[in-house]
Amino acid sequence: MPGNLLRSEDMSLIQLYIPLEIAQPTVAELGELGQIQFRDLNPDVNAFQRAFVNEVRRLDEMERKLRFLRTQIDKAEIPVRSLEGSMYYARSTTQQEIDELEERLAEHEARIQQMNNSLETLNKRYLELTELRHVLRETSVFFEEAGSRTDELLGGAHQEDSHLLSPAAGADDSEAAERGEGGSRGANLGFVAGVIPRARMATFERILFRALRGNLYMNFAEIDEPIVDPVTDETVKKNVFIIFAHGKEIIAKIRKICESMGATLYPVSDRPEKRREDALEVLARLEDLKHVLDSTRNARRQELAKVAENIEVWTTIVKKEKAIYYTMNMFNYDVNRKALIADGWCPTDSINAIQYALRGVTERTGSTIPPILNELHTTKEPPTYLRTNKFTVGFQEIIDAYGVAKYHEVNPGLFTVITFPFLFAVMFGDFGHGILVTVFAAWMVNQEKTLEKKKWGEIWGTFFGGRYIILLMGVFSIYTGLIYNDIFSKAMNIFGSGWNFVKEPHAEKWIGEQTGVYPFGVDPAWMGAENMLIFSNSYKMKMAIVMGVMHMTFGICLNVVNYIHFGQRMSIYLEFIPQITFLLSIFGYLVVLILNKWATYYPDPSQAPGLLNTLIYMVLSPGNVSEKDQIYPGQAGLQTFLVLLALICVPWMLLGKPYYLKRQHAKRGALGYAGLSDENIPDPSRPSEDSNAGGHGESSGLVDPHGDGSHGGEMGHEEHFDFGEIMIHQMIHTIEFCLNCISNTASYLRLWALSLAHAQLSEVLWEMVLAGVLTDTIAPGLLPFAIVIAFALWFVLTVSILLVMEGLSAFLHALRLHWVEFNGKFYAGTGTKFEPFAFATVLKEVEE
Amino acid sequence: MEALFFNVENGYLEAIVRGFKSGILTSNHYLNLTQCETLEDLKLQLASTDYGNFLQNEPSPIATTTIAEKAREKLVAEFNYIRANAVKPLATFLDYITYAYMIDNVILLITGTLHERDTNDLLERCHPLGMFDTIAALCVATNVQELYSTVLVDSPLAPYFEKCLSAHDLDEMNIEIIRNTLYKAYLEDFYNYCQMLGSPTSEVMGEILQFEADRRVINITINSFNTELSKDDRAKLYPTCGKLYPDGTAKLSKSDDIDQVRMVVETDAQYRQFFDLPVGAERSLEDKFFEYEVFLNKKSFLRQFHFGVFYSYLKLREQEIRNIVWIAECIAQHQKERINNYIPIF
Repeated sequence: MPGNLLRSEDMSLIQLYIPLEIAQPTVAELGELGQIQFRDLNPDVNAFQRAFVNEVRRLDEMERKLRFLRTQIDKAEIPVRSLEGSMYYARSTTQQEIDELEERLAEHEARIQQMNNSLETLNKRYLELTELRHVLRETSVFFEEAGSRTDELLGGAHQEDSHLLSPAAGADDSEAAERGEGGSRGANLGFVAGVIPRARMATFERILFRALRGNLYMNFAEIDEPIVDPVTDETVKKNVFIIFAHGKEIIAKIRKICESMGATLYPVSDRPEKRREDALEVLARLEDLKHVLDSTRNARRQELAKVAENIEVWTTIVKKEKAIYYTMNMFNYDVNRKALIADGWCPTDSINAIQYALRGVTERTGSTIPPILNELHTTKEPPTYLRTNKFTVGFQEIIDAYGVAKYHEVNPGLFTVITFPFLFAVMFGDFGHGILVTVFAAWMVNQEKTLEKKKWGEIWGTFFGGRYIILLMGVFSIYTGLIYNDIFSKAMNIFGSGWNFVKEPHAEKWIGEQTGVYPFGVDPAWMGAENMLIFSNSYKMKMAIVMGVMHMTFGICLNVVNYIHFGQRMSIYLEFIPQITFLLSIFGYLVVLILNKWATYYPDPSQAPGLLNTLIYMVLSPGNVSEKDQIYPGQAGLQTFLVLLALICVPWMLLGKPYYLKRQHAKRGALGYAGLSDENIPDPSRPSEDSNAGGHGESSGLVDPHGDGSHGGEMGHEEHFDFGEIMIHQMIHTIEFCLNCISNTASYLRLWALSLAHAQLSEVLWEMVLAGVLTDTIAPGLLPFAIVIAFALWFVLTVSILLVMEGLSAFLHALRLHWVEFNGKFYAGTGTKFEPFAFATVLKEVEE
Repeated sequence: MEALFFNVENGYLEAIVRGFKSGILTSNHYLNLTQCETLEDLKLQLASTDYGNFLQNEPSPIATTTIAEKAREKLVAEFNYIRANAVKPLATFLDYITYAYMIDNVILLITGTLHERDTNDLLERCHPLGMFDTIAALCVATNVQELYSTVLVDSPLAPYFEKCLSAHDLDEMNIEIIRNTLYKAYLEDFYNYCQMLGSPTSEVMGEILQFEADRRVINITINSFNTELSKDDRAKLYPTCGKLYPDGTAKLSKSDDIDQVRMVVETDAQYRQFFDLPVGAERSLEDKFFEYEVFLNKKSFLRQFHFGVFYSYLKLREQEIRNIVWIAECIAQHQKERINNYIPIF
C-alpha cells in the first residue's frame, strides 16, 4: 500500500553484501535513492578506528579548502552560482574524479594563498607609503607652524643677538633662518615622526610623558582617510605624530617606546626641500604600486570567479562523498572476502527499486561480482515510515511532535488533515477572517516555488511550512463563519431573514415574529438581538459537547483497527467494548438529550428542562427525575439502567484483561512452554546480532499495547509474569480512562469558549474603532479622513490581534484537543522515525 | 542571605560556568585521546567534545602549539564573556584572577628584554588574560624604578610593585625576587579580598589560595637551596596567607635541604601526601601539587552561591589544556609509554 497514511509502510530488514571495489558507487547510488536506513554495525569502534577514516579525513581536508575558498569568495563579494536543479545530482563517479578534484582544490588554494601573500606584502607597502605620505604632509605643517613660531620667538632673539653673532643673520629670509637655527640646534634637538593607531594615542602620550618626565614636545594630527590593515582587513583610524626631544639617548628611548606601542616610524628629513622631494617620490611610487596592486587584485578576482563558478558543485560532491564514507564506516568490513556487509531497514516496496539500483551499478562499473541483497527475518521493531507529500507533511508533523507512531499503528495524521482545521475553524469561525487567512495561505501555496528559496527567518519558516494547514484552516473558517453568519462580527442577510420585527405597542422594544426558516446557518436577525448572547452561548456550548463526544468516540473506535491488526482480538471485548459503553452510556446519552432538545419546541423557554441538572442527578440520585426535568416518560428507568451499565464497565475494564492474561499464562505454563516460547530459534541466514531481541507474541502485545515498544528491543520478552504489576497498570489505566472521559468532555468546551471570545473580540473591535466614525457625529468634511484612519487602525488590529494572536491561540487549543483528547484514546506514539540515508537530507542539512 | 540575592546578579554567570564545567573532558575522553596514533586522530577525537571544531580551519599537519593556542583561545573567549557580563563584586573578583597573568606577562617581558628578545615576539607569547594597554612599554625600562614609574604605575599591579622598589638592577636574580614579591603581595591582597566577600566565597577561595600560598612557599624554599638568596630574604618572599604561616614558614626559612622541608610540611595532614613519593616514581612534586589543586577546584563546584567556581573553572580548564598538550606532545614525539602521566580531572 504505497502512500498509505493510515499505517506506516511495511519495512524489511535487509542485508547487503557489497564487493569492496564497487562499494563507493553502490553506496552513492543508494544515497541518491534514499530508501535505506543503515544500522551502525560497529557501535563499539572509535570514530578514528573505523575502516574508512582516512578517506573521511581526506574529505575533511578538502572541505576545509572549500571553506577557505568560500570565505575568500565572499570577502571579494563575487556572486556564487547557486545550486540549480540538476546540480544537486552532481557527484563523482570514480575515485579518479575525487583525486582530480582534490588536486584542483589544492592548486586553487595554493594559488589563492600565494596571491593573498603577495597582495598582503603589496598592501603593506602601499600602507606604509600612504602613511609616509600623510606623515610628510602633516609634518610639513608642523614644521611650518614651528617655523613661524620660532620666527616669532627667535625673531626677537635674532634682533638682539644679530649684532653679536652675525650681522647677516637678521637679513636671512625666514626659511633660511629656520634651517640655520634647526641646524645649529640639530645637534641636540632631534625628532621622531610616525603613525600610531588613534586608540593607543592616549596611552602613548601618557607613557612618553612619564618616561621622559615631560621633556618633549609632541604634535599630532589625525589622518582623515581610514587605513586598512593588510593582515586583518579592518579599517583602523590612525594619527600622525611628531615628537621633538633633546638628546640622543632620549630619542633612542622614544623610538623604543614607539616601536613597542605599535607605532610605525618614518624617516623625515628636517629640510623642507628634501621633504618636498620625498613627497613627490612617495606619490610616484604610490602610483606605481597602485597599478601593481590593481593587476594582482584583478588576477585574484578572476581566479576566484573561476572557483565561484564551480564551488557549489564541488561542495556538493565533497559532502556527498563524505556522507558515503561516513555510511560505509557503519558497515562490517570483511577483510577476507573483500566485501562490506551492510544492514539496514528499507520499505518492503522499495526492495525492487534497490535491486534495480544495485543492478545498475554493477552494469555501469562492469564489475563481475554484483552486490547481493538479502532480506532478513527479524523480530526487531522496525522504524516507522509514513510516506507524506507536501500537503500532508505539515499535518503529519503535528502528530510526530506528539510521538512517532509505533510500527503499523493507526496513524492519527490521516484524520488530523480534516479534523484539525475543522476544530480550529469552530473556534475561529468568521467569514471575513477566514477569507483573509485563506488568501494569505493561497498566496503562499501559489508562490511556493519562489518562496521556498527565501530565507526570512524561523517564524516565516514555520508559517510557510504549515501553508497547507493554514489554507485548510482558512477554508474551514469560511465555512463555520457562514454557519455562524459572522463576517467581521456583522451578519449577512443573503436569503432573507426568517424573522419579522414588530414594535411592541407600549414598550420601546422590537419583538421578533417568525415568518420562515433561514435556509443556511444562523438567521441574521439574531445579530443585534438582545438575547443573541444567550442563544449563541447555549448553541455553541452544546455543539462543543456533541463534537467532543463524537471525536472521542471515533478515537476509541480506532482502537479496534489496531487490535485487529495486531491480532489482539480479545482486547476488543476486554477493553474496547467497556470503554465505548462507558463513554456512550453517560456522554452519548447527553448528546442524544441535546439533539432531542434542539428538535423540540418549547413555547416558554424557561420551562425547558435543564440538561446539566439532568446529567448531574442522573448520577447522583439514580431512579429519580424531578418533575421539571422530565423529558420523556420512563426517563428514570432508562437513566438508572445507563448508570448501572457504566458502573459495570469499570470492573470489566479493571479485571477482564489481567484475568485473561493470567489464564493465558497458566495455560502456557501447564503445557510446559513457559521457557521454550522465549527461545530464539537461530536463523541461519541471519548474523547473530539479532539474538538479543525477543519475539513479540500475542500475549506480550496484550500486556501493554501502549508501551511494548519501550521494552521490545532489549528485554525481548524474557517474560517474568508479574500479576501484581499488570494489575496496578490496569488500575491506573482504568482510573485514567474514567476520569479522562469526564475531564476531556469538559475540555471540549474550549471550542465554545474560544469561539465566543473570538466573536466578542471582533465585535468589540468593530464597535470601538470603526463604528464610531460611521455615525453622523463627525463633520461631513472630515468624514473621509476619519474613515481612512479608522479603517487602517481597524484593519491592522484585525490582522494582528484577531488573525495572528487569536489564530495562534485557536491553533494551540486545536493542537491540544488532538494530542490529549484524541490521541490519548488510542495512540501509543512510541515508534522511531525512519531516517534513510539520502543525499537530499545531507545536502539540506548543509544549507541550514 | 547571600543565597537570597546571589542569583540576582550572578546566577546567570554561575549557571554558564557550571555549564562550561560540564564540558570538561572526562576520563572516558582521556581514554580515547590516549589511544590516538596521530595528531589528526586527536583532532577528530576532540571534535566530538565541547571543543567542537576549534581546529576545523587549521591546515594539517597541526602542531601541538596550535592545539594549545586554540584551546587557550577558547578558554579566554569564555572567560571574557563571563567578565563582560559580570558586575561588581564578581567583576572585581574576576579582575583579581587576571592579575596573576599580568604578573607572569610582566616578568616574561622583563626577562625577554634582558635577553634582548624582540618585543613583538614576546608580546605574542604573553597570556591574553594578562594584557593591559601599557604593557608593551615594559621593554623600555632598564631599572626597577623606571619600570614602576613609566609603565606599571597605572596598571593594576602598581600597589604590589611598590613593595619591591628597593631592588635596583634588573638581573635574573632580581627578576625572580620581583616575581615572588609581586606574587606574594598579589596573593595576600586577593586572599584578603576574598575574605572580605564573606562566606561561602571566603571559605572556598580561602582554602584554594592558602594552598596556592603554601605551594609557593615550598617551591621558593626548594628552589633557593644553594643560591645566593639569604635566608632572611627568602623569608621575605613567603606569602603570609597560607596554612604554613607563621610556624611553618619560620621553620622553612631556616631549612637547608629537602628533608627539613618534608619535616615541616608533613605537620599538615593534607599536605603529607606531597612528599609521599615512591622511589623512582614518575610523578613529581609538581604533579602532586597539580593533583591537589584539581582536587580543591573540583570541590569548589560542590557548593553554590560563591565566586570560587569561576576561579576553579579557569584552573581546571588550564589543567585540561596542559593535559591535552601533554598527550599531544607524547603522540608527536612517540613517547606513548608516558602518555598516561596527565592529571585526571573527572
